[in-house]
Amino acid sequence: MRVNGTCHCGAITIEGEVDPETATICHCTDCQTSTGSAFRVSIRAPGATLRMNGRPATYLKTTANSGNPRVQAFCPTCGSPIYSTSPGEHPRPSYTLRVGILRQRDQLVPKRQIWTRSARPWVAHIGDIPHSELSTVPVSEPRR
Amino acid sequence: MRIDGACHCGFIAIEGEADPKTTTICHCTDCQTMSGGPFRVSVRVPGASLKMTGQPATYVKTTAASGIPRVQAFCPKCGTAIYATSVGDGVQPFYMVRVGILRQRDKLVPTQQIWLRSARPWVGDIAAVPSSELATAL
Repeated sequence: MRVNGTCHCGAITIEGEVDPETATICHCTDCQTSTGSAFRVSIRAPGATLRMNGRPATYLKTTANSGNPRVQAFCPTCGSPIYSTSPGEHPRPSYTLRVGILRQRDQLVPKRQIWTRSARPWVAHIGDIPHSELSTVPVSEPRR
Repeated sequence: MRIDGACHCGFIAIEGEADPKTTTICHCTDCQTMSGGPFRVSVRVPGASLKMTGQPATYVKTTAASGIPRVQAFCPKCGTAIYATSVGDGVQPFYMVRVGILRQRDKLVPTQQIWLRSARPWVGDIAAVPSSELATAL
């Protein structure tokens, strides 16, 4: 399946070919820290299919639970995460694209979850958390 | 509640006072793009209580679903999301600190979800997605 997307500010655009069956939730603590959230969702694109405009900043992360060093690419202008891949010259065999930046994310439903050992316990019961269709003010004071 | 944390590479460290009841999941499309995931989790910290070492990069986002421009701060070295705040000079009244960077994240259970209109439909049934305690090959 063909996918494409951009970071928030548009400095980086990316496109490639993915297998929707590889859409994966990762609950590892590195993904929690880097996103500032509870987990990340990614999908694999072979390097041979990847096209990119703009130049992401990269950070070599050596602390993975798996022990594998990983290159983390993000937009230097707006901070949006773009992909992770193995260290070395481009193109790498495979890139793990962040699904949140892809236009086709409606169609990319995660097929598996990994590193649930470190999953936030509330994630499985997210439906129980009060919610609003639009925005609400977190507490009584107005949002500024 | 006292909170503290750091970005992945350690360049930015942050601490402050947070009310755990303000821990909020945001499903807006901006949070999806900027986290690369389906939502983001943040907790509110008054600017007067915030201490930070290191200088984050900032990006003023003018596309919020709410219509309000917001400053987005992230680590320029490792890309980790740090906080969002209002636009302006000096200390701002409030900072929405990204919970994933905080050491106390075990205790920061979200109390509300906003912008559910754009939530990924699978999020409510996440327990139904096959899972592994550790890693499996993609």
